Amino acid sequence: MTLRTLVFLLALAGSVARAQEASHDILISRQLATEQGLSVGSTVRLAVDANGTGARTYRVAGIYEPTPDPARLGAVPREVRMHLPDLLDVMRPPGVLAGTEYIANINVALIDPADATAFARDVNARMPGVVARPSSEAAGSAGPFRVLERFHLAIAIVTIVAATVFLLALSIMLVDERRETVGILRLIGLPARRVLVQVLIEGVIVASVGAAFGLVLAVLSEGLINAFFQWRYDTALVFVRITRDVALTSTAIAVPLGASATVLASWALLRRSGLRLARR
Amino acid sequence: MSGVIVDAQSVGRSFAMPAGPVHAVRDVTLQIRAGDHIAVRGPSGCGKSTLLHMVGCVDAPTSGTLLFDGQDVSRLSDARRSALRLRRIGFIFQRFFLLPMLTAAENVELPLSEAGASRRDRQQRTKALLEYVGLTARADHRPSQLSGGEMQRVAIARALANNPELLLADEPTGELDEATGAQIASLLDRVNADGTALVIVTHDSALADRSARVLMMRDGRIEREATR
Amino acid sequence: MNALGFAWRSLVRQPARAILGVLGVAAVGALLLDMLLLSQGLTVSMRDLLDRSGWDVRVSVGEIPGRGGRVPAASDTAARIAALPSVKATLIVRVANAQIESDGGPPIMATFEGVSGRSNRGAPITPPWTVLRGRDARSPNEVVIDVAIAKAANLDVGGMVTLRASCVSDLEALPPTRLQVTGIAEFPFAGTNEDGVGGSLDALKLACGGNVGDEADLLLATSTGDSRETAAAIRSVVPGLFAMTNDEVVGRLQQTGFTYFRQISTVLTTVTVSFAVLLISVLLTVSVNQRLGEIAALRALGFSRARVVKDVLSESALIVGLGGVISLPLGLLLASGLDRILKQMPGIPADLHFFVFEGTALAIHVGLLAATAIIAALYPMRIVSSLSIAATLRDEVIG
Repeated sequence: MTLRTLVFLLALAGSVARAQEASHDILISRQLATEQGLSVGSTVRLAVDANGTGARTYRVAGIYEPTPDPARLGAVPREVRMHLPDLLDVMRPPGVLAGTEYIANINVALIDPADATAFARDVNARMPGVVARPSSEAAGSAGPFRVLERFHLAIAIVTIVAATVFLLALSIMLVDERRETVGILRLIGLPARRVLVQVLIEGVIVASVGAAFGLVLAVLSEGLINAFFQWRYDTALVFVRITRDVALTSTAIAVPLGASATVLASWALLRRSGLRLARR
Repeated sequence: MSGVIVDAQSVGRSFAMPAGPVHAVRDVTLQIRAGDHIAVRGPSGCGKSTLLHMVGCVDAPTSGTLLFDGQDVSRLSDARRSALRLRRIGFIFQRFFLLPMLTAAENVELPLSEAGASRRDRQQRTKALLEYVGLTARADHRPSQLSGGEMQRVAIARALANNPELLLADEPTGELDEATGAQIASLLDRVNADGTALVIVTHDSALADRSARVLMMRDGRIEREATR
Repeated sequence: MNALGFAWRSLVRQPARAILGVLGVAAVGALLLDMLLLSQGLTVSMRDLLDRSGWDVRVSVGEIPGRGGRVPAASDTAARIAALPSVKATLIVRVANAQIESDGGPPIMATFEGVSGRSNRGAPITPPWTVLRGRDARSPNEVVIDVAIAKAANLDVGGMVTLRASCVSDLEALPPTRLQVTGIAEFPFAGTNEDGVGGSLDALKLACGGNVGDEADLLLATSTGDSRETAAAIRSVVPGLFAMTNDEVVGRLQQTGFTYFRQISTVLTTVTVSFAVLLISVLLTVSVNQRLGEIAALRALGFSRARVVKDVLSESALIVGLGGVISLPLGLLLASGLDRILKQMPGIPADLHFFVFEGTALAIHVGLLAATAIIAALYPMRIVSSLSIAATLRDEVIG
């Protein structure tokens, strides 16, 4: 073997060794990449403490958009994803044998998601010390988002109460504008019930059109609010979503409320005599 | 021109409409002196009310000149015209336009309050006016508790609150029956006899016949004038 | 009759609509007040909670104290910090999970805080709890417990509590330890559904079977002077740790956990004010349109344009003013209800409030309502100011 071949082989061995040391690939979040000026192919050293104890070299194999986590709203997701063996390697304290580490969670994707509850029950029965539960129950009854849901519901109730009060005031005013007409109708013999039915029909039409308009406004606002918060927090999280259920519930509340307000206002008016109503 | 309150020279009022301009009043020349008793008659749409509104500084002419006590009305600001109406002109309307949430006394007091009269002066003047129109007993009643004739009498008292030189009445008996109308007519005569110039727009021939001058209008012009 | 008196009579003329208008403003005003209280409530409450604790600098491994791992070599670190001239006292805080035996019932889950303090110049060492009855725990076999544990386990001052603690991981299964209850205490940083036990660090070590390294979840320090200078000095002696003043902790929380509530309060404040402006404007506009004849007659009688405009503005001010006054007690009542809902969130200290009454919030509330009254009245004011007297009188006759 010539000297040149030996040097080449040594150099090759060295580069292979370096490649092996740097061949541990990681993914980093977009936000981390932007902040640290990293790109695909960059090499980084990661350690578990600020002193750099046990730091290892990794290569950035890709940059990903982190799944928005509502529990970490406002926090910039400086995240790294590694192969599990690499993570265990870098985090293992000195003196601890490989294979004695433990992990906090295992996520399981079932072939049939409907089996989640039965599967969790089965795991809990077979593996003491392990807690398995379906993802949908992970938050618990006092989870932050359940609490926020109750908070938003309370605000919605107050808003509906305020809107109802105003609606009633407006209905009384609008019905009062037609008092003369109503008075004349009563004087010529139309029964109060007939007038109320007409008012009810009008009320339902107006309330339905109003509810439809309200839905359009809500959809527009949904876009604006989501756009604002997604820009503000640099996240893909969706903050407002008008689902079919929400639309149906809103309509189911708005239309009867609107119609009832008109009928109630008219009923109060119709209790007076036609003569009094028709008099200017 | 002593004693001339209103001097209208070739005044006209046109309204721009989609179908073309409407000349409600054309080329009207008229003088109203202190103590005058004038009726303006004519068919519906002949411009009577429009003329009254211009004389009362509620509306401004689109042509000609209208002087109130020597001042060109069209050159006055809205605030000055309001002040003129408040202190020197009184208005009564076919539909009374009493404020329903105020009592008869409070309705009469309104212009006095707006003119800045003291509370004592307001109360004294209101009492005197209600006595003048014969409604002392109804001072605390709301308009809904008064008859048509009584409401018009309150309106007259209100119009006289600040002792105007000129009282303008637009169909004052239009919504009243004959007997009540006659009562109002007598009251207006008394007002005129006490020195206030009176211009009445009316369809009521009985009311018009009580005036010293009757102006007949047609198509926006004064067709003829009759004096008694 | 001045404009306000006139406005009052106009409202009273139609009592039903006036009452409903005022109540509507009251409901909307209450919500507005609550959003203003919410916007700064957490910050004010957290700052107050931190300041009341008696410690003004917090040292931890993570940016948020109590998260991100434990402070290693806690004794040495605390000693180095205590040696600084600007530090009056230091406290090591270590936290463990505990299960307390109750008579015949299920074990009570609690958080056991063990503390060890060092004071310079005789400064007091304030533990992270307040003794309500009895005295504080001093020796390694003494603890204080909170009111809920005392009630559930039927314990009182002088009694013995049996507990199992785990200081390293939940997988530990240590034998129970009996400790004497010397006091009943309040733990201001404990969550609403969390129970607290407090004692010395030695008591915690005893309960954990001695299996406690020299680590701390948190180090607390009190300054002799400016806390910012103290924090800077601490950072210079222990550069790997985060030393934050109470203000900095609050600032950090404002950027993370608290930020949602500030944003939602801004959005809801905007929506509420817009809603109120729209509804009051519609109420006034309809009301004015129904009275155009009267207004024209008043103008004909000599009422100036400014006067009739002032009447409309006064009516708006009266509706909003009366509604605003009612909105205050209503808003405070609603705030206490909403606060109760939000405090159910896990991990929220029991003494932390989302809605805190502040003079600034009230001033902003009044300002916003005043602006609402003015803006809502703009369109109806424009109607009356541009009213053609003659045309309106004519239209009224025609009917």
